[in-house]
Amino acid sequence: MSSITGFLSRAWVRWAITAVVAVALLVVPLLFSEYTNQNLARIGVFAVAVLGLNVVMGYTGQVSLGQIFFVGVGAYVTGYGATHDWNIVVVFLASVLVPGVIGLVVALAAARLGGLAIAMVTIALPIIGVPLAKRLSDFTGGSQGLSSAFSNAPDWTGLYNDQWQLYLVIVIGGATYLLTRNLVRGKYGRAFAIVKSNEAVAASMGISPYRYKVLAFTVASLIGGVSGFLYMAVIQFTSPETMTFSHSITLLASMVIGGAASIIGSLLGGAYYVLVPQWSNDINPNLTELLQGALLLLTLFLLPGGLVTLPREIARRLRRSRPDGGPERRQTPSAEPAPGREAVEETPTVGGIPTQRPTERQEQA
Amino acid sequence: MGAQLRLTDLNLRFGGIKVLNDVGFEVEPGQIFGLVGPNGAGKTSLFNCISGHYRPSSGSITIDGEEVLGTAPATLARHGLARTFQHPALQLQATVLENVLLGAHTRLSGGPVEWALRLPRLARSERELRIEALTLLERNGLGWAAHRRADELSHGLHKGVELCRALLSRPKLLLLDEPAAGLPHSEVEQLIETVRRIRHDDDITVVVVEHHMGLIAALTDRVVVLDHGAKLMEGAAAEAQSDPRVIEAYIGKDAADDVA
Repeated sequence: MSSITGFLSRAWVRWAITAVVAVALLVVPLLFSEYTNQNLARIGVFAVAVLGLNVVMGYTGQVSLGQIFFVGVGAYVTGYGATHDWNIVVVFLASVLVPGVIGLVVALAAARLGGLAIAMVTIALPIIGVPLAKRLSDFTGGSQGLSSAFSNAPDWTGLYNDQWQLYLVIVIGGATYLLTRNLVRGKYGRAFAIVKSNEAVAASMGISPYRYKVLAFTVASLIGGVSGFLYMAVIQFTSPETMTFSHSITLLASMVIGGAASIIGSLLGGAYYVLVPQWSNDINPNLTELLQGALLLLTLFLLPGGLVTLPREIARRLRRSRPDGGPERRQTPSAEPAPGREAVEETPTVGGIPTQRPTERQEQA
Repeated sequence: MGAQLRLTDLNLRFGGIKVLNDVGFEVEPGQIFGLVGPNGAGKTSLFNCISGHYRPSSGSITIDGEEVLGTAPATLARHGLARTFQHPALQLQATVLENVLLGAHTRLSGGPVEWALRLPRLARSERELRIEALTLLERNGLGWAAHRRADELSHGLHKGVELCRALLSRPKLLLLDEPAAGLPHSEVEQLIETVRRIRHDDDITVVVVEHHMGLIAALTDRVVVLDHGAKLMEGAAAEAQSDPRVIEAYIGKDAADDVA
């Protein structure tokens, strides 16, 4: 196991993997059927939505039940702009910024409240969003919804619509994934993680829990807007139905099943969101929800960290089944050569192992 | 340069309970200052007031002459205050190195957009900081553990990691809340060496809350003894140890009479 991670941590190996993935992403839309391409594009749309949810919930630990609202707003803004012949760049920016600003305003109020109160405020968003979309029919087309074919393939590309749309998803969604991955590593990743686990410690490190919660929530709604733009590009139709509360819950389940606080997990979450209802429908249309519930429970029990932890879990079980326990060392990619075996022998001279258990020794001042 | 800390007539109330009662003292730059007293004397509460986690009902706290009472803890941390906690609060799933890097949050420039774009300047500052954190861990005998997950280490080592995390912020004023609690004897001696070296090398003012009188006597320049939220006495550690009032506070009046 350690030899595999060691191999993967080498710079040229990582570059090679990145290059292969990039080429594969560029070729994929040309290889598959229209049906597969549409499915892949939908997975991309919801993978971006789950990614946004992961920023606020997986990484920063703030329960948000309103992510679908921001997707819906993004889709409506896109639809409105496209039907009014705005420039496509303006449409895109508006579809990201409008949900972002709404998210910021909501977060400024909600992050003052602790714990469950934030969840309650976010529940309100899709609940208000649906009737609001029906009411504001001048902008939203009311219950009829809004459709726009702005994302049909331009003639100069020579591509079919499904191919063009999948390219849009790959480029815009891919860029969103890269930016988010960068953000949740390094300075901001560490800050989000400590706000999630211990606000008092966060504050003593110079990290204001309030500001970072607002930041995470705003980023999540911006990403929700990106997802909404892509939604409109791929599905070309949105209605109040898009942002119902139950979709928000499914997004949340997708995040947990894919893997909270994980970039790859978000991608798997998107796949779950799109594919599992299709499969369970194929098995038995009457049992769709039951099958999904069973799958959710199964994942939670077998893989509490989500599908993304599957390889790690398998490796752990294989190691356990070996008589000598196998190499117990866990390594993280780093330029520093792992101090390795001699490090283990050094331990006692550093101070040795405490003779009592921590719980017995702690005294209250 | 170590910071100067001055507390004047500090009062803290939780509802009807007086936790701190007109406490005042002054810590000179570069001093190692001890805060002692029996359980429940209000030592940790006083710490929480200084670090901004509690808001005193009245009084004044100045750092280098600047009033900081009522300032949010995150703001204080940005102005050179660092602290450790009685129970080390580490990210158990993260590596020791990641835990220590958290301490340098305020030293890393750049907003969220710049970090999302991973500007070369920021990537470089992150790399430099990693090297600095590794050196710091090495110096404190924890270099071997840098890439291990925090939950693989013992309680005593957690305290060392937490200290490194606080030091990486390059504080002017360092608050240590019971650094020796639960440590075996050998590690306490090592801790004393470490804190002495910190003061000498980095020129930091250190305030330490501790029950361990051996550590207080070996380390501090001056101590304040708290009892029931009020200042009992102030002086050198040796004076405190022989002061009848302090003995009485620790072991009770009758027992103190027996000793005398």
